[in-house]
Amino acid sequence: MKAFSAVMMAFVLWPSLARADAPVGIEVYPPKIRLDSARDRQRVLVQATFTDGRTAHVAAPALKPSDPKFFAVENGTLKPLADGETKLIVEHAGHTREIPVTVVSASSDPPLSFRLDVMPVFARAGCNMGSCHGAARGKDGFRLSLFGFDPAGDYHRITREFPGRRIDPGAPEESLLVAKATGAVPHTGGKRFEPGSELANTLVRWIAAGAPDDPAPVAKLVGLDLYPPTALVAGADVRQPFVAVARFVDGTDRDVTDLCWYGSNNDPTAKVSPEGFVTTGSRGEAFIMARYDTITVGSPIVVIPKDLAFAYPQETGGTWVDELVDRKLESLRIAPSGVCDDETFLRRVTLDLTGLVPTPEERAAFLADGRPDRRAHVVEELLGRKEFVELWVMKWAEILQIRTVANEVSPKAVLLYHQWLDRRIAANEPIDTMVRDLVSASGGTFTNPPTNYFQQERDTLKLSENVAQAFLGMRIQCAQCHNHPFDRWTMDDYYGFAAFFKQIARKRGDDPREFIVYDSGSGDMKHPVTGQPVTPKFLGGEAPKVTDRDRREALAAWITSPDNPYFARHVANIAWTHFFGRGIVHEPDDARVSNPPSNGPLLAELGRRFAASGWDFRLLVRDIVLSRTYQRVCDTNATNKLDDVNFSHAAVRRIRAEVLLDVLAEVTDTKNKFPGLPLGARAVQVADGRTTNYFLTTFGRATRDDVCSCAVRMDPSLSQALHLLNGDAANDRIKQGGLVAKAIAAGKPDSEIIDGLFVRCYGRMPTERERIETVTTVMAAPDRKAAIEDVFWALLNSPEFIFNH
Amino acid sequence: MTRPRLSCSGPFAGNRREFLQVGCLGGLGLSLGSMFRMQAARADAKSFNHFTGTAQSVIHIWLPGGWAQQETFDPKPLAPLEYRGEMGSIETSLPGVRFNELLPKTAQIADRITVVRSMTHGEAAHERGTHNMFTGYRPSPALTYPSFGSVVAHELGPRDRLPPYVCLPNLPAPDAGAGYLGSAYGPFTLGSDPANPAFTVRDLALPGGVDPQRFATRQRLRDAVGRHFQRLENTANLEAMDEFYSRAYDLVSSAQARAAFDIQAEPDTVRDAYGRNEAGQRMLLARRLVESGVRLVTLSYGGWDMHQKIRDGITKTLPPFDQAYAALIRDLERRGLLDTTLVMVSSEFGRTPKINPDAGRDHWPKVFSVVLAGGGVKRGLVYGASDAIAAEPADAPLTVEDLATTVYHCLGIVADKELVAPGNRPVEIVDGGKVRNELLA
Repeated sequence: MKAFSAVMMAFVLWPSLARADAPVGIEVYPPKIRLDSARDRQRVLVQATFTDGRTAHVAAPALKPSDPKFFAVENGTLKPLADGETKLIVEHAGHTREIPVTVVSASSDPPLSFRLDVMPVFARAGCNMGSCHGAARGKDGFRLSLFGFDPAGDYHRITREFPGRRIDPGAPEESLLVAKATGAVPHTGGKRFEPGSELANTLVRWIAAGAPDDPAPVAKLVGLDLYPPTALVAGADVRQPFVAVARFVDGTDRDVTDLCWYGSNNDPTAKVSPEGFVTTGSRGEAFIMARYDTITVGSPIVVIPKDLAFAYPQETGGTWVDELVDRKLESLRIAPSGVCDDETFLRRVTLDLTGLVPTPEERAAFLADGRPDRRAHVVEELLGRKEFVELWVMKWAEILQIRTVANEVSPKAVLLYHQWLDRRIAANEPIDTMVRDLVSASGGTFTNPPTNYFQQERDTLKLSENVAQAFLGMRIQCAQCHNHPFDRWTMDDYYGFAAFFKQIARKRGDDPREFIVYDSGSGDMKHPVTGQPVTPKFLGGEAPKVTDRDRREALAAWITSPDNPYFARHVANIAWTHFFGRGIVHEPDDARVSNPPSNGPLLAELGRRFAASGWDFRLLVRDIVLSRTYQRVCDTNATNKLDDVNFSHAAVRRIRAEVLLDVLAEVTDTKNKFPGLPLGARAVQVADGRTTNYFLTTFGRATRDDVCSCAVRMDPSLSQALHLLNGDAANDRIKQGGLVAKAIAAGKPDSEIIDGLFVRCYGRMPTERERIETVTTVMAAPDRKAAIEDVFWALLNSPEFIFNH
Repeated sequence: MTRPRLSCSGPFAGNRREFLQVGCLGGLGLSLGSMFRMQAARADAKSFNHFTGTAQSVIHIWLPGGWAQQETFDPKPLAPLEYRGEMGSIETSLPGVRFNELLPKTAQIADRITVVRSMTHGEAAHERGTHNMFTGYRPSPALTYPSFGSVVAHELGPRDRLPPYVCLPNLPAPDAGAGYLGSAYGPFTLGSDPANPAFTVRDLALPGGVDPQRFATRQRLRDAVGRHFQRLENTANLEAMDEFYSRAYDLVSSAQARAAFDIQAEPDTVRDAYGRNEAGQRMLLARRLVESGVRLVTLSYGGWDMHQKIRDGITKTLPPFDQAYAALIRDLERRGLLDTTLVMVSSEFGRTPKINPDAGRDHWPKVFSVVLAGGGVKRGLVYGASDAIAAEPADAPLTVEDLATTVYHCLGIVADKELVAPGNRPVEIVDGGKVRNELLA
């Protein structure tokens, strides 16, 4: 049974070639260059790559124009000379690249634009952050829209609120806008940039020119490219510059490296300066973010120790999941933990698939199964159980927030809604069909139960936020009031999405407890800044034609389309999170640019396969639990002990409230009672989010009032510890179930009874030391039954029971 | 399995911070560096250090439903009947200051408390107003803010083996929870009412048939069967659970800590002085708890949402409050605790200026009253004023942000400090509040 616990690992050392440090190739960024005006510049980055996957910034590459007539190169930066199509020749260490260069309007010097030149200064210098002038009421009497969501308003406030003071075209340098920011006069926010710096000069020149507004709408920003797109750097204190290029709808682009805000999500590994220079630190992975206007993008950077001797363990029998996980681990120079033994696997997978622990009989049968693929067999068996269905009905009931709502959703409606869900999951109906039927549901809350989704949340904005979070894994709430600072969503996106729900109407049915949800076909979503009606538009997608049908039908089709990149990945990630205690995107309903997946290719492939399988949820689950990645031990090694996000070892996960209560009942042989359910029903089966008891609430059952996956609380608390120590959960159940009394009555010796309790609770036999310690304690105790019950109590109060591992 | 306790800012300082980060922000130590960066960026503008505050503890008396300012601390005897209401008012120990006629005992201690008559905010729905008054923030769709007690638990940690934040008898509202800080900073809720003659705190006492000796055996057995799993204890959740078990052991096995919850240990005369009812016994227990080391107790009392027959409602609900509150202030003073214990009486909002057709009053957040005492607050002050019909603040309106900032200031917490919410989002404890020094002694 321990055959898997010590996996034989063969080690292959990196080829010694890697030490020679001759690059095997170079990359040049940006891959093509356009210069648009006499002022336009473009920095060029050259990155060398090595056989072991490392990259290195090339500090002084040879950059030559193919024809010196069109542009010049100064300090790695291209400067336009004459219009034309030409090439940049890049040479380094024997590798050559040719980069196409287009120069247009080389002789024109357009005036400064408020939106394109001035607003970015506020963003770059942090002026319009929430804690500064971007606060709802501004700061110290000056307000800017948060992250620049309202350029027209900002223009008004700058030019009209304190004329002659805030801006003074007669003495531009003395304008408060400049003097405060450069620290020339006292400023609560301190000095934001130097007098004479590029940022200061932009403001001064703009004010000197009369602080003009943009005469016509400016070209809309459509993209931001951050280079290099990825880096794998060996050693600390290595510098890696980044270059950002903004792309506009008119085909122009601009080097905005000096105008972006930069951030790192992991400073100890990679710290980024305001100029976009990264300095590496301790080993790990960081995500370098750049924000320009409404767009935030990022590049991952991995830092490994210099000259690290590392060999990735060779294992056999992995699946496609493992291949993708291993590839990431190898790049991080992390060796995964080994594969767990059969007993550990059986308890883990039984808990995860059915919300129960294996019975002693199930354990014995599994251990006696000599087939090499016995794990696959037991997974198949567990997937076929009704408990598997019940567990996922509960998960979806949480996502759909199934609960009674006073005067809106009656207990009967909840029951019908829950039954609808149960039938869908039990039949393994394709998930896309289920979600499509729900999002577009019309009719009575009794006759077509998924309409309850629209009955339990009647606020249009809240409802659209719920839909985005539940089915796309996005939290768009921020964009209700301002452009999302760390994601792509603007207020336009937010209200365009909310417009899909604007025409939902509700009326009472014949039964006073029933409501009819229908499409009224009228009503417009108003944009809060412009006051204009907003047409429905998919998040990050097109504006569909909705004049001839329920807007929600168009939305449902888009959400569940196999081409929608978000939905399949989101559902796959929900499944993944259930089995690993951590999402590839974490939290699973918080996908955003600044919260990238820890393994993008893995998430993409999970989503792709899920959609391609016809949305077969059981297949998805099977692929996950039969991977070696799922079957690793929790124990860590020197390389992966600090890794929590790349699935290099199993996580120790507290068992969720409902399952823990069910398992307590199971191992103590006692029964639960919930309102409206028969004696002995499981907590997992409870339909209404409002139904709870002290145990469930204390251990973090979600009330389902909030769509957030974080509403299910897994964190420990003092009340939980006290309840298990002294409450009825362990102490009383042990007595009620009478297992110890029965075993004593059957004449079993102490050690046999205790072995049985270990098997019940932990799915394993006690170690020799555990047996000796517990049996001697029992033998020394005055009351044998009480003492054995104390052993039982101790088992239930230990992390090995409370956690899945 | 119990681990040695750490000292300084509480036993949780180290690994709970870690736990919070791993829980919210992902591994590889993501947040700390970023937080330092954020702080460094503004270090010249803001100070984040705690200081020694005037208040060492807080008793927050929460009156759910929205109490009528007119029928309590801000009567309008000169207003027309439809505004004044049916109830009369009485003189207090402060010349010229009148309270409702059913606050005679409180009237006698008016010279020891500060009545704020100009509290104001804009949320007229219960849950939104409650959120304002517990967190110092307007409700946000993007973020659940932590309550006073959870911030105190997060910033100051436990004291004398007792949980830092206790709710009595239950969590009064979801807004009284830990919000984005995570339930590790949530309140310890008693789950039973000290006014009940059979009052015990849930799960605090050993179950029947388990004496301390048997409990010691259980602990030993738990150590024995837990050792095998201890190899994995570099995991944040396991460490947190382990910490809570050792705190639970502390509580269960420390007679002194448990005694804090033992209201029966109070002499009958004291219990009678507070009143043998919900208001009295809850306030008495709150005093015991802060005296023993709990940093912040939130107790709720009564139902103040009096849309109908407000006179009947007040007549039933106010006298027990009057007796208990006056007894609490006098008791704290007698024990020398008043100067270090901030007592705050608040509610989600006040009630409409005019009596409605059902002889009640409806929700009114524009102006209402909050009563503060002790812990560094002035004695014998009426702060601010409402207008002639208690419709708008007439003088020195007190905002939710300023109230919260002032309460934190009394505790030595700089409300300008930024905490880290999920998504690595820096959030000030209170956004933009000012300390109202006029309230402070």
